[in-house]
Amino acid sequence: MKKLLIIFFVSVLFASCDDFLDVNEDPNNPTVVTPELVLPVAQVYTGEYVLDYDMANHLGNMLMYNWSETYGFSWYQEEFDYLVSTTFHDDLFDDAYLYCLKHYKDLYDREEKYNNYRAISMIMMAYHFQMLVDFYGDVPYTEALARGGNPTPKYDQAEAVYDSIMIQLDDAIQLINSESTSEVAFESVVNDVIFDGDMKKWKQFANTIKLRILVREANVKGDTYVTAEIAKITAEGSGYITSDVLVNPGYLKETNKQNPFWDSFGEDSSGNTTMNHNATCATQFIIDYLVSTGDPRIDTLFQKGPDSETHLGVEQGVVNLTSDYDQTHVSLIGAGLLKGYDAGAPIFTLAESYFNQAEAALNGFGGNAKDLYENGVKASFSYLGTEGVEDYLSQNIANVSWDYSNNKLEAIITQKWLGLMGVNAEQSWFDYTRTGFPSNLPISLQADTEDRPVRLFYPNSEITGNTKNVPSQKDAFTDKIFWAE
Amino acid sequence: MRKLALFLSMILFVGLQTMSAQTKAVSGKVVDDLGEAIPGVSIIVKGTTIGTITRPDGTYNLNVPENAPAIIFTFVGMKMQEVPYTGQATINATLVSDTEDLDEVVVTAMGIVREKRTTTYQTEKVKSEELLVGQASKAAEGLTGKVAGLQINNQDNGVNPKKQILLRGMRSISGNNEALIVIDGSIVTSGAFNDLNPNDIESINILKGASAAALYGSRAANGALIVVTKQGQKGKKLTVGINHATSWESVAYMPDFQTEYGIGWDGEDNPVENTNWGARFDGVVKQIGPTFADGSYQAVPYAPIEDNLKDFYNTGVTNQTTAYLSGGDETSTFYLSLGRTDAEGIVPSDEYSRYTARVNVSKQIGSVKLSANTSFLTDETDVVGDKIGDQDRPLYWFVLNTPANIPLSEYSDWDNPESYGYADNYFNAYYQNPYWAIGTNRNVDETNRFVGNVSASWDIFDNINLTGRLGANNSWGNGKDWRAEQTYDATLQPYHSTVSSFVEDFEFQRDIYTTDVILSGDFNVATDVTLKAILGSSTYSYKYRESTLIAKNLSIPGFYDISNGTGQLEGKVDQSEKRTYGFYGDFTFGYKNWAFLTLTGRQDYTSTLSSDNNSYFYPAVGLSLVLTDAIEALKNNDVLSYAKLTLSNSTVYNDLNPYQINERYYKRTNSAGDVLNPFPYGSINGFDKSASAVDSDIKKEKLNTTEVGLNLGFFGSRINLDASYYHTKTTDLITYTTPSYTSGASGYLTNIGQLTGKGFELSLGGRVLNVGDFKWDLNVNFSTQTTTVDEIIDGVNEVALDSYTSGYGTYAVVGEAFPQIKAVSYVRHDGKVVVDSESGDPIVGEIENQGRTTPKYIYGLTTQFGYKGLKLSTTWDLRTDYVYYAQGLDAMEFTGRTEESVRANREDFVWPNSVYETSPGVYVDNTNVAITNGVGGFWRDKYGEINECYIRNASNLKVRELALSYDLPKSILSKTNIIEKMTVGFVARNLYTWFPDGQTRFSDPEFRNTDEGDDSNGVGIGGYFTSPPTRSFGFNVNIEF
Repeated sequence: MKKLLIIFFVSVLFASCDDFLDVNEDPNNPTVVTPELVLPVAQVYTGEYVLDYDMANHLGNMLMYNWSETYGFSWYQEEFDYLVSTTFHDDLFDDAYLYCLKHYKDLYDREEKYNNYRAISMIMMAYHFQMLVDFYGDVPYTEALARGGNPTPKYDQAEAVYDSIMIQLDDAIQLINSESTSEVAFESVVNDVIFDGDMKKWKQFANTIKLRILVREANVKGDTYVTAEIAKITAEGSGYITSDVLVNPGYLKETNKQNPFWDSFGEDSSGNTTMNHNATCATQFIIDYLVSTGDPRIDTLFQKGPDSETHLGVEQGVVNLTSDYDQTHVSLIGAGLLKGYDAGAPIFTLAESYFNQAEAALNGFGGNAKDLYENGVKASFSYLGTEGVEDYLSQNIANVSWDYSNNKLEAIITQKWLGLMGVNAEQSWFDYTRTGFPSNLPISLQADTEDRPVRLFYPNSEITGNTKNVPSQKDAFTDKIFWAE
Repeated sequence: MRKLALFLSMILFVGLQTMSAQTKAVSGKVVDDLGEAIPGVSIIVKGTTIGTITRPDGTYNLNVPENAPAIIFTFVGMKMQEVPYTGQATINATLVSDTEDLDEVVVTAMGIVREKRTTTYQTEKVKSEELLVGQASKAAEGLTGKVAGLQINNQDNGVNPKKQILLRGMRSISGNNEALIVIDGSIVTSGAFNDLNPNDIESINILKGASAAALYGSRAANGALIVVTKQGQKGKKLTVGINHATSWESVAYMPDFQTEYGIGWDGEDNPVENTNWGARFDGVVKQIGPTFADGSYQAVPYAPIEDNLKDFYNTGVTNQTTAYLSGGDETSTFYLSLGRTDAEGIVPSDEYSRYTARVNVSKQIGSVKLSANTSFLTDETDVVGDKIGDQDRPLYWFVLNTPANIPLSEYSDWDNPESYGYADNYFNAYYQNPYWAIGTNRNVDETNRFVGNVSASWDIFDNINLTGRLGANNSWGNGKDWRAEQTYDATLQPYHSTVSSFVEDFEFQRDIYTTDVILSGDFNVATDVTLKAILGSSTYSYKYRESTLIAKNLSIPGFYDISNGTGQLEGKVDQSEKRTYGFYGDFTFGYKNWAFLTLTGRQDYTSTLSSDNNSYFYPAVGLSLVLTDAIEALKNNDVLSYAKLTLSNSTVYNDLNPYQINERYYKRTNSAGDVLNPFPYGSINGFDKSASAVDSDIKKEKLNTTEVGLNLGFFGSRINLDASYYHTKTTDLITYTTPSYTSGASGYLTNIGQLTGKGFELSLGGRVLNVGDFKWDLNVNFSTQTTTVDEIIDGVNEVALDSYTSGYGTYAVVGEAFPQIKAVSYVRHDGKVVVDSESGDPIVGEIENQGRTTPKYIYGLTTQFGYKGLKLSTTWDLRTDYVYYAQGLDAMEFTGRTEESVRANREDFVWPNSVYETSPGVYVDNTNVAITNGVGGFWRDKYGEINECYIRNASNLKVRELALSYDLPKSILSKTNIIEKMTVGFVARNLYTWFPDGQTRFSDPEFRNTDEGDDSNGVGIGGYFTSPPTRSFGFNVNIEF
């Protein structure tokens, strides 16, 4: 009897345990996906990084005194205070790594047949790492993006990162060109929502980024290096971009699926004007500037208030504003910038490419500076859909007419500022730190400092998650990034 | 039992009636400690054979010799009582129970019943009547304050509130810290406990630590609540009963508001503001809201309206009725119950109803006992939505955004275009009428739940039993969350955007099946040595599936079906599955019935770890010594009735959640579950790489617990004292650490560091007074518990729990108590706040530790006064030494409704007791640099940038329950011939809450922000997501036939 029981007992215990535990495969989320399902995600994130609320362009517009705050809103206190802190626009640090670079690194780690995807990822990583250096100086680069392999990457010197990404861009071009000699056929790129798989355009973009880097660091790197690098670009032969670099997956008028700038500063997917739209208006300074220079872009950069005859702006940080400056009176962001929910999101403009070339030409690295300058202005008018560029350029006003401008660099940087306003305005902030142009740019009335900040603070995520490596915070108003030292 | 005793007593006394000269008549009545008559008590004159027994009503008459020294009362199961005789004509006696506490049996892990003297760890039992004192609709609420080491948090105050159940604090950073729930021997979810009708519970035995629960393996780490539901009794006649409770719930307190300033901005009138930055109140009748086409407008006195926000809330009503039927014959028992609960919340139109049914049956067939315990629940919830308006805000937000001079409760006619409450006419240009919100945003769902098990228990021999048990816990349901579209007249409401419509339709199904096979035997292995041996196996399988479909921008107003959406339909499915099985053995050796040694081992296998690392062994050892039996000098002691010492050590492991072991690509969502990954765009699809990285060598988490306990009984167990000290050490914690985001991951799931927990618990209770019919029982309990983070990993000092939100959050910080709140702090110099030398504003400092979020000390008090059938009971609970982040104050600061915002009379002011830096390291007292924009801007924009200002001392004292009940005397009931028992009572719950002096109140520290996902460890932050705290009053009637 007892034996029988024990046999029964044991058999119950061991019955059908073979497959019992074999249930740990997630039915809802895949563990492996092919690169064409990752590339568009990364690119859409890049578009958001540049153009979403609180992101690169937005910060640039606040720091460059382009935009201000409508009566009745308390939207931009930290920006008006120049309150650079560990939480001030911290997404510029975090999102670069967490959303953009993570996915490009995922593509970079793919096998050889995906070399075209890998080249694109190298170019886009260079694009992001440059911007990270421009915002923060030293950042993790060599040890970054290894995920569990290195949860606390060390920091690399800003200049070293610049040097590395220059090489990385060369390598990317070489990788694209290596297909002819490769034993493995490269898969053509699908779902590329920037250049639709056109690898020549990617090479042009790589060259354009290289020039952005060279122009920015020219003063500290010296002519020899810059000359040699520009010669390499010329020798490569693909040239620079020929149109604005836009991310466009086919934005839709649905939640989270719109053009990021439109979604933040235009209308939500139900067609409602967003709060950000109503809260954000021109500064009176920029209105005055555009009026005094006869700039027709005033009507595409900004829209007149329905209750106003003329454009009206608000100085940054003014207190005790009256309701005469509410959203029905002031100039909110205009239709040249808010092109629609389905417009492409500009991550690099043709105008900037021309201005960078103009600056290189001005410094003797080849090219006709005046032509390039005027092409830049024309590209800006064209982007905004503004007529009358020839009349504008023919005015005898400094920093408008090339010939009438005594300080050609000031003319280039000032027009670049106007051209990147509301598009890639963060670049103007970097230029301002480097060159001090545009001159006489006001600072916020709330500021306790003499001028605007020159860098951002490392965010809390690094203080918390990378305590042993994160450098001590530099002075946000005096410690310039290496290229402006 | 008493009937048998009566019978025996009668036989005994038949021949004992003898006559004696010189006697006096004595009469009296004998009752038990509840005041009920005891029939059949034998009464003997000391030193004689003269005696009698009591009649059915407890009375007696006896002729006593004049020289008799004393009268002795004896009854089976009661303590003998001797009353000196001095010629009294009346001698009454009260007999108290003789059962020693140590001979009670307790239900322990796996449903194994043991004598209390043999258990080597601390348990505490809460009986039905204690649980039901406050007539709470949730069992967990009835436990609050009654058990040392048990912390129940009411996390919200909706119509179907959720409770968090913590035993001995928290010991895992990312893992589950909530106690295991076992109903009638089968593991269930905390939801099944939340849904259980409290009237169906016989008792809850609390296994406080991992040692007590060790047989449950990986689910033992947090202790367990062993719930036993009511059973019929063999051979007992049919009992039919009905219990009804009605309670009324209302807002206990609102946040502290200023009442000096009303609607406006920067000191000026503005009739459409949501803020209180207007001029000082002057009582003049002024316009509020828009000017209508005919030039008219609404006007109210510019003066504060007392309780204008509180009056928005209704008095909620809950009706709870349970009818039950129980009984049995010689071989079978049954208990049936039907329950119905209807609740109307304090939020207008919030409704909840549930029906419960329970069938518990057992049948003895020879040596086999078959039993089934089953319950079914179906409920319906209809509450206001939680994504209101174009900013997706919760309802309370809209209430709080109402200035002090607005008569909020007059806007209830929101649907009438002629009313000021109508969307276009409402005064507030920025946030809508909360009544409108209630009418146009609903979350409606229904849930069904079956919890049950069947078991067969076979007494193979007198000393050997084999029990098999199959348990099921199935819940399924569906629901719709919807929001109506709202458009606005651009002239009347120029600032409002159209509110878009949506409907979210979801279904879910959760199935848990458990099996247990237990073979147990009791043996005498040698002289004086006994062995209780248990061998067992158990399996656990869990499966969950939820699907959601979302349609937006609906075409037909008022038609909430996904077919009505425009644009792309969104949807997702979430599934998860987990299985474990294990074998265990448990051997308790007893020596002379005063020493017990228990050795336990369990081998577990889990589906969630890699197959080469998915099994583990849990050992536990425990010792129990009954000192009062072991030590001759302590035996038969009048003061110390018993003393038991226990010592135990156990190791248990935690495994992973399903699928966690692999990194997966996914469609990114936010904490509220909204999909953020925008793909697909047409034919272009895309997946995000997983947010968190996973350690490829991830392994189980280990918890080791050592516990020492002491149980003492005094004065015939009238007073009992239980004390325990424990030490837990968690190592290899499975934790979502916070890596540098530059690693390309926002979380890193790995085994880290060490947490140690230390705690001490003390319960002291008993009958303090017993004078005649008056009884006073008092139980106090005290516990202190601290979990400290010893280490994380090299170079990492903290782990974020709740996702980091602008300036504050909850963390695990090395060297600090866990969990810890951190917030942006003031910069201080010599204790003074450092301000900017030009602006006068306090300088914004770094994010710093602010304190622990779980109480360091918890004191509980329950007491009951009884007089005859009348009982007055109350439960108090005091929690101290912890902090809370009052998130909602931040939002109210913007609207100028906080008390802080009037501290400086809305003028520019010098920050009190501040300094500023003149040159590096040199500070001077600030007497002249005043903060500007005291009229509004400073408070709206600057003050709250330093989140430290919203850290509150969370210490609080609560009167949890106050109840008065009356048992109608049997003498009255017996005349009805039908009613056996009738109790009526009045109850109050959460009657009062005290906070420390000077503490501005915002909400209840137990509430949590429901917007922060399901991470139950991130407690300590709360605000405007839950309605204000409530108190309730009610009555109840219980009748048995």
